[in-house]
Amino acid sequence: MIEVNQLRKQFGKVVALDGLSFNAPEGQITGLLGPNGAGKTTCLRTIYGLLKADSGQALIDGFDASKQPLEARRHIGIFPDKFGLYERLTAREQIAYFASLHGMQGQSRAEAVEQALQRLDMLAIADRRATGFSQGQRMKVALAQAIVHQPKHLILDEPSRGLDVMSTRILRDLLRELRSQGTSILFSSHVMQEVAALCDQVVVVAAGKVAAQGTTEELCALTGETALEEAFVKIIGTDEGIAA
Amino acid sequence: MMKQIRIVWLKELKDALRDKRSVMAAMSYAFFGPLLMAGAFFMLISQLTSEKDVEIDLIGAEHAPALVNHLTSLGIVERSEPWPAGTQPIVLEIDASWAEHVATAQPAIVTLTADFSAQKQRAEISRVERAVAGYSQQLGYIRLQMRGIDPNAIRGVDLVKHDTATKGSRAAIIMGSVLIFMLLSVFFSGMNVAIDISAGERERNSLELLLAQPLSAQQLVWGKTLAAGCFAIFGGILSVVLIPLIFKFIPLHEIGISVAIAWPMLLLIMLILVPLALMATAMQLFVSFRAKSFKEAQTYISFLLMVPMLAVFGVEFARLKNQILYYLPLTGQHQALLDIIKGESVHWLALAVSGVATLLISYILIRLIGRMLSSEKVVFGL
Repeated sequence: MIEVNQLRKQFGKVVALDGLSFNAPEGQITGLLGPNGAGKTTCLRTIYGLLKADSGQALIDGFDASKQPLEARRHIGIFPDKFGLYERLTAREQIAYFASLHGMQGQSRAEAVEQALQRLDMLAIADRRATGFSQGQRMKVALAQAIVHQPKHLILDEPSRGLDVMSTRILRDLLRELRSQGTSILFSSHVMQEVAALCDQVVVVAAGKVAAQGTTEELCALTGETALEEAFVKIIGTDEGIAA
Repeated sequence: MMKQIRIVWLKELKDALRDKRSVMAAMSYAFFGPLLMAGAFFMLISQLTSEKDVEIDLIGAEHAPALVNHLTSLGIVERSEPWPAGTQPIVLEIDASWAEHVATAQPAIVTLTADFSAQKQRAEISRVERAVAGYSQQLGYIRLQMRGIDPNAIRGVDLVKHDTATKGSRAAIIMGSVLIFMLLSVFFSGMNVAIDISAGERERNSLELLLAQPLSAQQLVWGKTLAAGCFAIFGGILSVVLIPLIFKFIPLHEIGISVAIAWPMLLLIMLILVPLALMATAMQLFVSFRAKSFKEAQTYISFLLMVPMLAVFGVEFARLKNQILYYLPLTGQHQALLDIIKGESVHWLALAVSGVATLLISYILIRLIGRMLSSEKVVFGL
């Protein structure tokens, strides 16, 4: 369970987070939906402790990443906003590197890596160096890095950006499967369709605050609209920065 | 703690070893010093051993063939080409009365006409003078012997010259430069790797994800420093190993220099370079973790490289002699290396102090980088 309580974060005069609160419970996919610049990435970076909140706290299974960063990070898998691969390492080596950083070693590490490779259907490229990987293949490596240690929490920042249909499908299937295994999944997106297709719970963020929260149906009912897109526009009051 | 450092270190090492550019860079700098030194020595030896003939104008050579033979045997010959513009000719004129004066045991007259103030020709003029004086002395000895007098009677003092400097001191300058290359090789060899694992990591957008993993920034920095440090010390060791090998191919004995560095001493040199390699790497990482791209880091580091170069070349060529130099980082190692290569005894205490100081600076720098990477301002460039 990821709990975010009254997070505030200011960069100079810009207020990025303004008392943001929500929960991402186990066995659910929570979507953080908001226009560009709403504070989604800032929120996620605060959760895994790269940014320090001015006030409020973010807890991962009760651990505050600003106080016990290593303990908190052991319980999450991260699929970041921008990810770079080590071009001279093979897919298998990259995934094994992250497994090692999470304390896995020897036979169990090899098995976990093999399992992640299999799950993402990437055995064919497992021993190739990352140079020349397509965007989809890169996404798979990054995803495998995030799940290789079977974290109880998975945080994804704009995961489907720049992905083709096949890669998006693989991603969605994986998220649904992890959900059924009890993982709590939190992902940010500004893509309406994706959120509607995947999320059990949508947290609409605008200007660093929660503008509305609930299932897709609840949000629609709340605004009296039938489509999430319309509901969304009504909630945040503008259609700026939103992709359909 | 150590486990995480080891994971990062091994990964970075594997990554860097696969980077041909980094490996080539590490090797080429190590080769560069010894090779440059070899070139310098070959030039020095050829200058010192094969003196060029002095070409002068000889007038009246036909009067004294024996003198001309003597001159020729000392490399002073009749000039065949015209004098270059702006050069005063050196003219040696043998008087027509030569045979008569020699026969009657009088001083034979030889006139040397030249511009005695010309700096460039000074060596040549004095060679001619010495040659003529030498012939004159031989002639004098013969005349004394013919009169039944021991020629040694006219030698009141026998000045015995022991040459302690000249060739040796010129060689010492070159040896000093060689040492500088040994020292600087640790700064150059790890440079590429250091940039790649810091600014490169940021440029390819992998830094954020790495920092969000369950390891502390300190562990990450230590792992990376050790990896780049391995390259630095590898370059250093390579240059230390190559130098005695290259000495074997240079005819140093021809100029009377013997440089024999025993293997234990070479091992000591390598050991001295270890803390320096760590400091070089820490300095480079400190600078390039602040850079946003590979290119930017390269710019910073090329400025950074000036620091050790200026320090070492400055001490070397300004002939600075101060006890404190033995105790400071970098200059301490430099002085120790100089002592070793000159065959003098090593100041162990000073060496230990400078080694510890170097390690301390490295440690502080590494801590600072770790702190820097915990700062959101540096990581996200806010």
